[in-house]
Amino acid sequence: MSEEKTEKMVVFATHGGEDPERASLPFVMGNAALAMDVEVTVVLQGTGVSLAKQGCYEHVFASGLDPLKKLVDTFVEFGGRIFVCIPCIQERKISEDMLVPSAEPVKAGRVVEAVLEADAVLNY
Amino acid sequence: MSELNLTEITPQNTVDARGSACPGPLLEAKKGIGKVPVGGTLEIISNDPGTKNDIPVWAKKVGHEFLGVLAEDGYDRLFVVRKK
Repeated sequence: MSEEKTEKMVVFATHGGEDPERASLPFVMGNAALAMDVEVTVVLQGTGVSLAKQGCYEHVFASGLDPLKKLVDTFVEFGGRIFVCIPCIQERKISEDMLVPSAEPVKAGRVVEAVLEADAVLNY
Repeated sequence: MSELNLTEITPQNTVDARGSACPGPLLEAKKGIGKVPVGGTLEIISNDPGTKNDIPVWAKKVGHEFLGVLAEDGYDRLFVVRKK
């Protein structure tokens, strides 16, 4: 009996509310992949870390796309993982308790591990 | 071999994804198929033109059978059989 391998995808989000479309598209693609039974990790780096900050992600709206809050909440509901760059949040004085509960602060090693295990990597 | 008449299908579950932005219809389909018994049919209603292309791809990827699409006035009805 053959065992089905779960495919994995990593999506890098490096833009925050200053570019709503590029901030939202990582979660659009992530949600589409989750619907297709792909295991997805979104990695927030640079200004993208604001996408996991409570009080920020609720206010990002890109024309033609669902509000970011809906996209992120759906992503988490369907089992997506959110990695948040620790040096990036430290630089922006964002403490871990300010992040959405599902966000996982990580350093580069975990990100590299996820990338090496992934079948596909997208960058925004 | 007789052609399948989609208008005669009685789906076991229907999800209405009208007004849902991409990739909402896919997510609705994923949720909806779980409420259909194996061998049963899910109907997805969508007014997003892209759904016609996405649902067949989704069904193939996750192992279900796409039956086809019926165009109605301002929306589409898509049918998928749960295979596993």
